Amino acid sequence: MFSLFFRGLATGSIYSLTAMGIVLILSTTNVMNFSQGDMGMFLAFIALILLMAKIPYPVTIIIIILMGIFLGFLLEKGLMSKVRKTSHIGMVMITLALTMIFEGIVGIFVKTPTLFPPAISGGPIIFGTIIMDRQDLLSLAISLIVVIILFLALYRTKIGIASRSLAEDEYAAKLLGIPVKNIYIFIWAIAFGLAGLAGIMVAPRLSLEPTFMLVIQLKAFIAAVLGGMNSVLGAVVGGLLLGVVENFVSFYIPQIKDSFSLILVVLVLLFLPQGLFGKRETRRA
Amino acid sequence: MKKILPIIFLVVAIFIPVVFKTKPSIIYFINLSMIYAISAQGLNLLMGIGGQISLGHAAFMAIGGYTSAILVMKFHTPFLPALVAGVALSCIFGLIVGFPSLRLKGFYLAIATMALGSVVTDVIRRLAITGGDYGFANISPPEIFKFVFSSNFSQFYMILGFLLLTTWLARNFIRSKSGMALQAMRDSVTGAVALGINISNYKLLAFIISSAFAGLAGVLYAHSVTYLNAFNFGLAFSIDLLAITIIGGLGTLWGSLLGAILWVLVRNFLSLAHFEVFAGVIFGVMLIIVVVFLPRGLSEIIIRINQRMNRKRVIT
Repeated sequence: MFSLFFRGLATGSIYSLTAMGIVLILSTTNVMNFSQGDMGMFLAFIALILLMAKIPYPVTIIIIILMGIFLGFLLEKGLMSKVRKTSHIGMVMITLALTMIFEGIVGIFVKTPTLFPPAISGGPIIFGTIIMDRQDLLSLAISLIVVIILFLALYRTKIGIASRSLAEDEYAAKLLGIPVKNIYIFIWAIAFGLAGLAGIMVAPRLSLEPTFMLVIQLKAFIAAVLGGMNSVLGAVVGGLLLGVVENFVSFYIPQIKDSFSLILVVLVLLFLPQGLFGKRETRRA
Repeated sequence: MKKILPIIFLVVAIFIPVVFKTKPSIIYFINLSMIYAISAQGLNLLMGIGGQISLGHAAFMAIGGYTSAILVMKFHTPFLPALVAGVALSCIFGLIVGFPSLRLKGFYLAIATMALGSVVTDVIRRLAITGGDYGFANISPPEIFKFVFSSNFSQFYMILGFLLLTTWLARNFIRSKSGMALQAMRDSVTGAVALGINISNYKLLAFIISSAFAGLAGVLYAHSVTYLNAFNFGLAFSIDLLAITIIGGLGTLWGSLLGAILWVLVRNFLSLAHFEVFAGVIFGVMLIIVVVFLPRGLSEIIIRINQRMNRKRVIT
């Protein structure tokens, strides 16, 4: 019973990491980021190469996060800033194009699902009646640390506060002299850094193949909707909640395991469109 | 002189089967790209003209295709009524998806259509009548008034006919009052409301028409490919259709055909070379190039040619 809860929490932490990236980007740049999951997949693939080259695990994780940050920087600087003025749907399309490119590139090298080494090996930790997998424990712990760091960054640093103001009202933020362009770069970099982390945390549990992050991405979207699209806290809570509920549902009512989250999202959209933590959007006709 | 390009297209199209008489597989690929073009045209009307996003477009193709295939194979309905039923059911589902679109926009709409698209393919895979995970095989070729379109060549002319019909309908729709209203709504919702345009009705209309096109394409697909599997109509195919529409040129009449031809050609050449996975990379790069540099996609070519011929600006 408690093991189920814990396992769900660990899955949920991955959803949270991915959902946070999606919500950060959506609330500041107003782009629905489809490439969040596949960016994680791509970075996990690179991590696999690094690990095979005998680079120690913690170093790999840091390299991957830095690489995600760099790719986010490149994307905003090279592509998004060029399209932002002309077409909004174009920006969404670029993220879709990225998923195609990443899946294609990885698909050339990874033909069959490949096992990904876990960060820490060893049997599960047994705690009375609770059974905890070491990798799950690690991913939960790392997610927790990252969430705390991210919240400190968003609420205590200058650039974090500036990006929250941008999310609230772009026009006013520009008037206040906030360097909007730098903030876009900051946000994309953070989001893709999170993507890399999520990818490397979840890869040992599923095995690496070009489409393995798509499910996570879909769940992250749902978590984001559940938590309210414009709230980072909502994304964290929504992700954890979805992970736990889903785990219980798939244990007790396995028939609706696959469709459950989709049904949930439609229900949430119909009855609670602003989500759990989202601010109600004032309707401008 | 204004209509010269469509006439050239028609003449070329009519002689394609004559030229490739010895290569039915090429005709098969052309048929496939015309079917995708019909479906993409529907998406184009929804997205390029109406400004709504849909990530479940392939599901409508599945609905149309399965409806017609089941009617023809299990209930022995003639082809034409089955076609109408397929399109009609697809329309009804379009209406169902359209309703949330009245309340949702942008991001939420994308998620809702994505979820509904996945649910449709999920349900199809669970049902017994659709063949479940094994798919629906050996669907009979289309038959209109006792004439069986059994070969790729005869199917070519039939699909060409449907393509011309849908393109003509789309052209008229874009220029009609409803099309104008949708374009106004796409450019500015506030402006459209101020002009007295009933937003909800037109949004629903856009969804219904786009799903009707997709349903028609699905029916044609079912009867010319003769095999359906819900797995092929998932999110990946919906995204491919989006890519086709955008690479071809959003909001243009010719775009979906150009995009579809390109998609089928590239994919099949690569699969001949056993390098199919690379198609995604090529299309991704092309999509980015189109988004950044060519807002009207491949239709830019057609528009340029048209301009040169008419010596004046033509806006499709």
